[in-house]
Amino acid sequence: MAIRKDANTLTATERAEFVTAIRSLKAEGIYDQFVLRHANAIMSAIHRCSAFLPWHRRFLFDLERELQRVSGNTNLGIPYWNWPSGGANASMWNADLLGGNGDAGGIVRTGPFRAGQWTVINSSGLPAGPLMRTFGQNGLPTLSTQAQIDQVMAVTPYDTSPWNVNSNPSFRNQLEGWIGPNLHNRGHVWVGGSMLPMTSPNDPVFFMNHCMVDKIWHEWQIRFPNQGYLPTNGGPFGQNLTDPMNNTPSGTIGSRPIDVLDSAALGIVYDDAVITPQPQIPLIIVGANPTQADIGTPGETDVFRFEVPSFGPHTMYTTGPSDTFMTLFGPNDPIIEVTSDDDAGENFNSQIIRNLSAGTYYLRIRLYSPSTTGNYAVGVRSDGTSPSPIPELIINGASINATISAANESDPYRFNITTEDTYTIQTSGTTDTFMSIHGPNSQIPEIASNDDDGVASNALIRRRLAPGEYFVRVRHYSAFGTGAYSIQLTQG
Amino acid sequence: MAHHKEMFKDQNIEIKDDINLSINGKEIIYKYDQVKNKFYTKYLPYTQYDSLLEMARAIAQYSVEFSNVKE
Repeated sequence: MAIRKDANTLTATERAEFVTAIRSLKAEGIYDQFVLRHANAIMSAIHRCSAFLPWHRRFLFDLERELQRVSGNTNLGIPYWNWPSGGANASMWNADLLGGNGDAGGIVRTGPFRAGQWTVINSSGLPAGPLMRTFGQNGLPTLSTQAQIDQVMAVTPYDTSPWNVNSNPSFRNQLEGWIGPNLHNRGHVWVGGSMLPMTSPNDPVFFMNHCMVDKIWHEWQIRFPNQGYLPTNGGPFGQNLTDPMNNTPSGTIGSRPIDVLDSAALGIVYDDAVITPQPQIPLIIVGANPTQADIGTPGETDVFRFEVPSFGPHTMYTTGPSDTFMTLFGPNDPIIEVTSDDDAGENFNSQIIRNLSAGTYYLRIRLYSPSTTGNYAVGVRSDGTSPSPIPELIINGASINATISAANESDPYRFNITTEDTYTIQTSGTTDTFMSIHGPNSQIPEIASNDDDGVASNALIRRRLAPGEYFVRVRHYSAFGTGAYSIQLTQG
Repeated sequence: MAHHKEMFKDQNIEIKDDINLSINGKEIIYKYDQVKNKFYTKYLPYTQYDSLLEMARAIAQYSVEFSNVKE
């Protein structure tokens, strides 16, 4: 078991034990192997990506095992850098632990890792001078506050496409620091010097910075037990749940994200892990006046919920001066995405018009630009008890794009035949659709149905039809399946 | 196409045709994020830059592959 403590709360004995263990690993050459493992990884496979958090969790785990080995203390944990109380005057920077800021030239002259006592290496493993630090001199003069950490702690999901620095909303991307208040990157940039390049593990505070990152992820996982690691599949290789992560050796635990998701199973204990309940999600009353809200911090995401008592058409919308982006989730599951919209509303507002089956739905709203702030109002209205008018398929016309957005949902279509002939109705796309035709002149009598006669798992019906009005109904093959598809009617 | 050459922190930075960056003759691989309009490189994984030259100077100053601070 590794007990990870706030670096500023370590006793003198604990400080000495940690420093001695680090220096022992350096003397053995083991420490430098960790520097090289980080420096020679593919940067885009361990940073700016979904695997950023699990890769570094495994990295910490492996160093911690080495620290335990050389210290003989099986409970020795890497201390974490509690940013809100870890400024330049904090005790972690004293000479008995990390030493302090660099001199005028950036060279660290105090503590156990000072010049003459500690030499950094480059990515080839060659000595490359003393440890350097330039606190707050690289454009980020302050460390993260508790309020900023709390803000990131409220973000879901774990990550989202395109699984990089532009992912939004994304807990991972906010914690890493490419959007939002910037937590992890800020730690590197604030220290400066040796913490800036890919050889940043040269500074032992690297591990304390990442221990804080890992602690936040750990607390977020407990807070949102239904928010799993993403992507499970379909992302870049090395980023999916069961992909091997880049430059991660075989060991007592696996090298895939799935192998490191459970801190407790890894024997990791944080001394004061703060487990806060999930934030109460504000309820929008369908049909009520829009709810006022604002994005007060760049990158912030708001979540609302609303109840649909029975199947019917609904409009979800924002109003106001902000360029909003809305994503709809549900029913009854805040992580099943139905659809999203940017500008279908007035001005740059988002709007989703959808037939919704009964259940609880969730709206996630952010601003289109992750670097701006602004206010808006969000509302949901029912557009009547009847579903929206049935879309018409035009013979030899363009395909209609649609989505089975909820369990048990089926989409109706209609078309008119004026000339008796053979007609083909087919779906396309990656969704396993099931289709039936009803008529003529009634939605009740079914005259044909099909599952997979089309391309892949698409449905296709070719039928000679007499003049009249016909109806098509498309659903997912699975009662619980959802997905997008297109449908087209052609003569012949 | 513009060419730029300068010494910065004792490192020889050269940008050819606005896009080809080298430091001390070594080609520097970098990426340009069209969404954020930023430059970034594996040498500095925690930062991104508004211009290629700004990024080159940061690499020259902070990356131990190029900087040569003496004790």
